[in-house]
Amino acid sequence: MNARAPLLAAAVAAATLAACAPPTMYAWNNYDQAMYRHYKNPQDREAWVAALKTAVLESEQEGRRTPPGLYAEYGYALYEEGKAKDSIVYFEKEKAKWPESRVLMETMIRNANRRDGNVPPPAAKGPAGSLEKKPGSTEKKR
Amino acid sequence: MTRSHIVRLLTSAALALIATGCVAPRKDYAAFIAANPKSILAIPVLNNTVNVDAPDYFLSTLPVPLAERGYYVFPVNLVKRLLEDEGLADAGLVHRADPAKLAALFGADALLYVTIQKWEAKWILIQTNVTVEFDYVLKDAKTGTVIWKDHETMEYSSNSNNSGGLIGAIVSAAVAKAAPDYMPLARRANAQALAYPGPGFPAGPYRPEYQLDYPKAETQQQPPPAQPMPPQRAEAR
Repeated sequence: MNARAPLLAAAVAAATLAACAPPTMYAWNNYDQAMYRHYKNPQDREAWVAALKTAVLESEQEGRRTPPGLYAEYGYALYEEGKAKDSIVYFEKEKAKWPESRVLMETMIRNANRRDGNVPPPAAKGPAGSLEKKPGSTEKKR
Repeated sequence: MTRSHIVRLLTSAALALIATGCVAPRKDYAAFIAANPKSILAIPVLNNTVNVDAPDYFLSTLPVPLAERGYYVFPVNLVKRLLEDEGLADAGLVHRADPAKLAALFGADALLYVTIQKWEAKWILIQTNVTVEFDYVLKDAKTGTVIWKDHETMEYSSNSNNSGGLIGAIVSAAVAKAAPDYMPLARRANAQALAYPGPGFPAGPYRPEYQLDYPKAETQQQPPPAQPMPPQRAEAR
């Protein structure tokens, strides 16, 4: 119990602080926690992609506003999975919803179009690396 | 000590924290208002600590509070990955790059530079102090000039709410040291940095109070309500 006190303190402070802020404009659906977990455990790409997909779908279903960047992030996750054609759908959505994203999204769409077709899936780098996933290959999971 | 007693104590502590947290020094927003950014590019976070995970972890806390201030926020993970592909995996390189050129790659109005100065858990006898410290700088993409900046430090101590005597304190300190949770502190730092009126910046174009919340009233202590409020007093600069 005592060992939990600091955790409790943090939780209470966080909850109360949240009350200090106005209700959120966007339906985030744990976008930030999903990204944190992605950086903490980059091997688990499936969880990252699934979390983004859920966040996109739920934000649309709730009729609340999909937050800026979410479509693009999901599109990029698909792109990294080698699903260039699918990624374009979401880059287009981001661009349509957020005019500020036009320059970047047009770049992404060009990249995806270039990759779409018979080009093999990207050899990913960085935190989302280890994704040179071939269908049927068994991956080591932590 | 009962659980409710503890909760009550903690709640009052949290409230005290908010009371101080929501009052902040006034700032000169002239440069910010003149630049009138609509979109913010949060570039990869510069790390001045030995904790190699800190920059990525911290990056994940930025989109929500920034977007909730009413700005378009570029997808931070996508941006980071693109920069890595461009050979800019080192945040230091990105931070030293020409802001105008960097912003042009993405079509951004403003760039947010965050530097982590502290991200540490120190175990001192019977207590662990977890501290985070950040510098925030917002630059105008057109001119490359600084249009806003802030500095935040957040700390929590394993001992602050302990009631179990020495053993309890030692256990708390050990738990906090073994698994320090930086993320709530980082989120609080962001919330405080971006609170407005306060150190944060005025509402962006996606908030209803866009361009209505400045010049701000001097003594207002609550975040602006959803309905735009006319400025109560013109602020002498």
